[in-house]
This record gives sequence, structure tokens and C-alpha cells, in this order.
Amino acid sequence: MAVADTVEHRPELLSRLAALLRPWPLLLIACTVAAAWLVFVPVAALFYTAFTEDTPFGPGAFTLANFVRAYVDNHILRLLWNSVVFALGTGVVTFLLGGIVAWVVERTDAPGRGMFHTLALLSFALPGLLTTMAWMLILSPNIGWVNTELKNLFGFTQAPFNIYTMTGMIWALSSHYFPLAYLLMGPAFRVLDIRMEEAAVISGARTWQVATRVTLPLLRPAILSTMLLLFVRGLESFEVPRLIGMPARINVFTTEIQSATHEVPPHLGVAASLGMTLLVICVVGVYLYRRATANAEAFATVTGKGYAPTPQRLGAWRWPVSILTMLMFIVTLGLPLFTLAWQSLFRNATPPSLSVLGNMTVDAYRYVLGYPVFLNAVKNSVFLGAMAATFVIAITFIMAWLAQRTMKRYGWVLDSLTFMPIAVPSVIMGASVLFAYLVLPIPVYNTIWILLIAYVTMYLPYGMRFTSGGIVQIHRELEEVAEVSGASSPQIFGRVLLPLLAPVLLAGWLYVFVLAVRELSASIFLAGPGTHVLGTISLTMWEEGGSYGAVCAMGIVQIVPLVFIVIIMRRLEERVSARR
Amino acid sequence: MLRIEHLFKEFAAVGNAKVAAVQDVSLNVPEGKLLTLLGPSGCGKTTTLRCIAGLERPDQGRIEIGGRTMFDAAHGVFVPPAERGIGMVFQSYAIWPHMSVFENVAFPLRVSRTRRFNSSEIVAKVKRALETVRLGGYENRRATQLSGGQQQRLALARGLVGEPRLLLLDEPLSNLDAKLREQMRFELKHLQTTLGLTAVYVTHDQSEALALSDEIAVFNQGRIVQLGSPLDIYRHPNSEFVADFVGSTNFLRGSVRATAPIGAVGQVETAQGTFACTFAAALAEGAKTVVSIRPEDIGIAADGEGVRGTITAKVFLGEVIDYLVSLSGQEVRVRHRARREYDHAVGATVMLTLPSDKALAMVDEKSA
Repeated sequence: MAVADTVEHRPELLSRLAALLRPWPLLLIACTVAAAWLVFVPVAALFYTAFTEDTPFGPGAFTLANFVRAYVDNHILRLLWNSVVFALGTGVVTFLLGGIVAWVVERTDAPGRGMFHTLALLSFALPGLLTTMAWMLILSPNIGWVNTELKNLFGFTQAPFNIYTMTGMIWALSSHYFPLAYLLMGPAFRVLDIRMEEAAVISGARTWQVATRVTLPLLRPAILSTMLLLFVRGLESFEVPRLIGMPARINVFTTEIQSATHEVPPHLGVAASLGMTLLVICVVGVYLYRRATANAEAFATVTGKGYAPTPQRLGAWRWPVSILTMLMFIVTLGLPLFTLAWQSLFRNATPPSLSVLGNMTVDAYRYVLGYPVFLNAVKNSVFLGAMAATFVIAITFIMAWLAQRTMKRYGWVLDSLTFMPIAVPSVIMGASVLFAYLVLPIPVYNTIWILLIAYVTMYLPYGMRFTSGGIVQIHRELEEVAEVSGASSPQIFGRVLLPLLAPVLLAGWLYVFVLAVRELSASIFLAGPGTHVLGTISLTMWEEGGSYGAVCAMGIVQIVPLVFIVIIMRRLEERVSARR
Repeated sequence: MLRIEHLFKEFAAVGNAKVAAVQDVSLNVPEGKLLTLLGPSGCGKTTTLRCIAGLERPDQGRIEIGGRTMFDAAHGVFVPPAERGIGMVFQSYAIWPHMSVFENVAFPLRVSRTRRFNSSEIVAKVKRALETVRLGGYENRRATQLSGGQQQRLALARGLVGEPRLLLLDEPLSNLDAKLREQMRFELKHLQTTLGLTAVYVTHDQSEALALSDEIAVFNQGRIVQLGSPLDIYRHPNSEFVADFVGSTNFLRGSVRATAPIGAVGQVETAQGTFACTFAAALAEGAKTVVSIRPEDIGIAADGEGVRGTITAKVFLGEVIDYLVSLSGQEVRVRHRARREYDHAVGATVMLTLPSDKALAMVDEKSA
């Protein structure tokens, strides 16, 4: 009996083994291992560094001293308070600005909605470092030109605005982040069936009753999740606290983590324990965000076949609404861009006026474009951006396809693995990758590859969103009909899937490219003398001399190509939506 | 009960162009009757309904509900939708997903402007409305837990709970599957007659319109092209468009040989022969015309009088059989009661007869 059993089982075992050796499971395993390595190694390094002694030869024995030191020396309550106020403040202002734009673009017939969408994308693509610098040139009490103008105009003895305050920080970040709120709230407004509101109107509800009983409750999950994500993003932000907060002595987690690693000698353990604290807060925030968005899906209802969103007709208010929205963009986007462009034409801080037109010079551009360190940084950033984008899109494309088509049962593993980095602030990612490869015997420290590792890890979630969203759009039958027609797997892939997905993949590639090129907060931990990138070199120039003109010229040189990329992305977006 | 006079509504289209959505529509719905606005998509029927509701503001005309002027372009009268005392069922149902079944139905009572309802009144009225649509006992369910058919009934209960003077229904059955749709058709008709509701019903489904309506207004390109009882519309379509849109029909094109006043019998010459037809339009001698005859009105026999044709295809549909008969180059559909003794084989030669009271001569819209 027992003999018969083994004889019967052996072929089954063999076939199971053989099944594992087929290409798809192998690919799945390879992808899982790669993603797990990218995601877990830095986090493990962060834990390890936080709980071990700092020694000149690397991590030592187990200790809790890092936490004690981090919490006492850095006045943890003060730090928490600053971080939370800053994140909450930006969350609220960002939400209000972005919510208004989302409403105008998605729900009204105000003219110029397409342009507002493009401007929001552009505003989002700009490096935060540059917009922050611009706001300092506008609103600093000493050199801010708006302050100077207002003093001259109204005879103020003191500057009316001071960027070196918590309010100033909140404004500088909000003016740059509100497109994110717009991008998050837009879909919520779009899918909100206007019939829901009309049904309330017909039932006899007054306008405020429609708003409080129908519209707001329906939007609540979207509002909640947007606020949470904005809050987390505020906690993670680095550029504004670094440039404005540090001189103003308003310290937050991200700047303290960076300071600790850059001290001589570096306090890596302290940085790691602060990082872990921030990571816990962010993980909780992202977890709540996920729950809120899951609730949003539970709110999905039957929508009719003939359903088409009808915009709210503003009537006489069409133009005023449009002009006010435009004004918002002029202030939040136009003013910083203009300031950078103007200042790039003068050596010293120069308020805009007609009388100085004669002193304009392109010396700054001549200097910047001939400055080898800058040119090397451009080369590094473009190389890293292209590599990171290619890797991220390729990996996530394979993963999304496996998760949705062949290996559905294990798909969630890949999904959650690639989503995890979204909870890791880029400052912590930078620090953790640094900790990991200081210890691991893999020689990437102080090379460009360590930056690439960090970038690919950080942008996995975004890549997955593009590729996964793209594959969802393609009905499985389109592949099946190719299969039935006799196409092989590579043929299906190359002739059906790739052409259909090309615009989405390209848009995703460009998106990751833009994120990578403007990266600062992780790079600042990883860039070495020969591996400066645009973000780190701009910061160094700003802080260690270099004229205002040169720094601004450097900014303009980065912004011009970004504008073209945004225009291409907008085109791709139109092509994708036209096909639906 | 509902009176509409010379309603016009234009929409801004791409660029500076205007699209006339509703052109000179006049209607009258007596108390307790159901009027259907029937037409293809984009014909202006939904816009007309939304004008009645007050969700759209017409450019010209007058709307009166229950003796009260709700809209009058000439005198600048516009009563907002909330004050018109109407109930409405949307195509997408527009069930609020954040409320329970009970709260969805209670909403119109809670926001009522005419009077305040206390909570026991609300409970009683909601219970009655839900029982009317056979959703009693579902009060505490989440609205999103209901099936499509139940959501549809919930939307109806919400429309009825405030005892509106007028009920507006915008393609309420189009999201249901075929079987459920037929069942709901009967339920709706039953409810409307027993409750004595005055209702305006929008649909593009002609069989729904024929089944439910006291009167049908057939829309095409923003205008009412025919207004009449279901039987009238089906039996006496006044144009090629109506004959084609309501029910199925055969068209034979030709010219008038001997004209006749509207309603009388004249002669029409076609490639398939000369037929005696009832004239549905004023047509001059020699004018181009089209003869419409419904498949079930054509007589089919193995021999005897009539036009000779050959059966090219045959479809068994249960109680009837559809034959496709080739008549000198044109295919004609003939529907016949399925009885063994009258069965004809594919390829057989048959004789078709077109009764002069069922063959209608009308303006040839395609050639014109």
C-alpha cells in the first residue's frame, strides 16, 4: 500500500517541480526577490543602525542610547510639534487651493480648463528646491523684491512679509504642492454623478442642504484620503524646511535627520532613530489613507449607460471664476518663475524695474553652461533619470502583467511589495540606503549606482500605478483573440500589448524621469564628490556662494526642458483618454 | 395637469455653434395619465423632461404644472425645481450611497418646504412608500447593498414619497436586464393607474412606450413628429420616421399613380407592382412615395391572388414565424402565426397580399 502511494505521488511531485520551472513562475520569483531586496534591505538597515552603537568602524553592540539621545538632544516634542503644524498647515492650504482648481476644471464650464490642467502639471513638475529659492527671493525680509517694492510704495519701515516663519514655510510648500491636491481631488469630482445632486434638488432640498447632505458626504472619503496623503507628504518634505526652516530655526524631522548624518563625526544612530520615528508616523498615515480609499470604492454606485458628467453652468460667473483661477496660477507659478528668470539676468539680488533693464546680462548663463561641476551634475541627473525610469517601468510592467494575468493568485504580493516605498519618506530612503551599503559588501557607496538603487526603490509605486492602471484598461480578450489567432506569447506582447500600452508606458517613464531629475532629499545622503546631481549642486551653489544670478540661471536651465516634457505628457494623456 | 406651450431650448456646441435641442414643443398631459416622450438618443426628449423638472432653463415657451405657471419666458417666471412639487426617477437611479434605504426615501420629507413632518409621520410615509414598491423590510439596508432592480424601485419610492403632483421618469428601466425590465413595466403601469399618478416617461424603447403609455409623443431632431395613443401611433404612423422607429416595418419605394386625400385609398406604383394604399400624407400624382406595411399585416399563401415571391430565409420564433421573401429584387419581412398547415419551406414560391387599409403611402424621406 505504502509503496503504491509513493509511486503514485512521485509523478505529481515531479510535475509540480516542473511547473515551478516554467518561465512565468520563475519570472514571478525573480521579480519578487528583486522587489523584496530593494524594499526590505534599506528598512532593515535603518532598524539595525537605530538599535546599535555608532562606532567609527560601523555599527556596534545593541543599544537604545540612540533613541534617548535623539529624543533628548533634538527636543522631540518641539520637533513633533513643528513637523505636525507644518504638515497640517500645508495640508489645509494645499487642499483648499487644489480643491478649488479641481472643482473649476472638473465641474464647471469656466473657460481655460484645459490650460489650468496643464499649468497644474507644470507646477507639479518644477523642482521644489527652485520654487523655494524663488519664494525666498520674493518674500525674504532683506532681499525679497516684493517686500522691497511694498516698502517703497507704502513707506513701510519693516518688511510686510517674512518668509522665515512657519507661515512662510507653509506658503512656500503649498504654492508648490497644491497641484497634488488637484490631481487627487479631480477624479473624485469627475466621478461624482451630478444626478445625485439633482435628485436632492428635485426632492426639495435647498442649495446648502444639497451641499451638506449629499455632495460633501459623497466626497468625504476622497477628502479624507487626500488630506491624509497631503499630511504625510508635508511631513516628508525636505526642500522648504532645509532652505527656509533651518535659518529660521524651525526644525522638523527631515532636516534633523539630515543634520545628524552630516555632522562631523556623523551620528548615524541618532539619524536612524529619528528616521524610524518619522517612518512609523508615515506608515500609520499611509495605512489610514489606504483604508480611506478602499471606503471610497465601496461608495461606487450604478451609473447609467447614458451617464455623462454635466458641468455646472456658471453663467455670468464663468469669466470671473476663470480669471480668479488664473490669478492663483499667476501668483503660485508665474511669480516664482518670473523671479527666477529675472534674477538669472542679474548678478546680485535685483528687484524688477524698468530702470535696471540696461544692466541685464547673460553672464550667469555663460558661467553656468561653462561650469564643469554643473555640467557633470546635468549628465548625472539625466543618466540617473533615464536609467531609473527605464528600470522602474520595465520591472513594474512585468510585475503588473504577472499580477493581473498569469499569476493572479500571487499578484497581491507584488502589489503590496511595490506599494510599500510610498510610506517611506525620501529622506529616510536616502539615509537607509546609505546605511545599508555602508555595511553590505557591495561596492556601490560613493558611486552613481547607489543613487540609482534609491531612485528605483522610491519610484516603484508610481511606476506600478501607471503600468498596472494601463493593463487594467486593456481587456483580456484583446490578448486572447491574438492567442486564438495563433500568436505566440512574445508576439502577443510585442504586437498587441506594447502598442496599446505605449502611451501609458511613455507617460510613466516621463513621470519617473521628472521625479528623478528634480530629486534632492534622498540624493543629499548619497551623492559624493563625483556624483553630484542637479538637486545637490543647486543647493550647494545656493548655500556656498555663487551669485544669485548663477543659481537662478541654473534653475532656468533645468526648468525649460521640464516644460517640454510636461507638454509631451499632456499630449500622451489626451491620447490615452481619447481611446477610452 | 401639465401644459407645455412652444418650448425652445438651445445648447452651446463646440465653438460658437448652437444646437437646437428642443424646437417648438407643445404638450398637454391630463390628470392621471402617462405620457411617453419617445425617440432616438439626442432627439430632445430628455432635455424636454429636464425643462419640466426645472433642471434646465428653456429659452422660450411656457410650462404649467397643476394650474401654476412654472416657467414663462415672456414674463420671466422660473420656479426652481425644489418648489415644483415633482418626483423624479433618474436613469442612473441616483441613489445616495452614503444613506440607508430609509434615509434615501425620507430625504424629500426631511427637506420639504411646504410643511414639517414629525418623525412618526416620516416613518409611516417611508414605510408606505417602500411597501408600495415592494421593498418593505429593507429600511435599514445600505442603499449600495441593493440589486439593480431594487435600486430602481428605491428610486421610485423616493420619487413617490412626497406625493408629487407629477412624476418624471427618465429611462428608468434601461439599466435593467431584459426579463426584469418586462416585469417592472407591468409594475410601473399598475402603480401609475392604481395611484392615479400623472407621469411623463422618457424612453428610446418603443415596446416600453407602447406598453406603458396613455399617449406617446414621438420626437425627432428636437421636434414632436407625432402625438397619439399607442395604437394610433402603431397603426397609423404619419411618416417614414415614425413607421420605422415604432415597431418594425417594410418599405416599398415608388411613385403615386392615383392620388387620394389623407385617409383614403389611392394607387402606388412600385418595382414590385401597383398597390392600393391608404394615403397617410398629401401626395401629388407622380410624386415619390414610400409604402409602409408591417410584417404581420402581409398575407402569405402558397397560391391564389397577390404578388409572387420566393422565400429566402425563415426564422422560427415560437408563436410566430418570420419569413424573408424576395419580391423582384427586394426582401420583404412577413410575420405569420406558426401553424403547421401554413408552414412554407425556404425556396418555395408564395403569393403575398397587401391589404389596402394596412399599406400606408407616405412622404419618401430618404429620396427627398
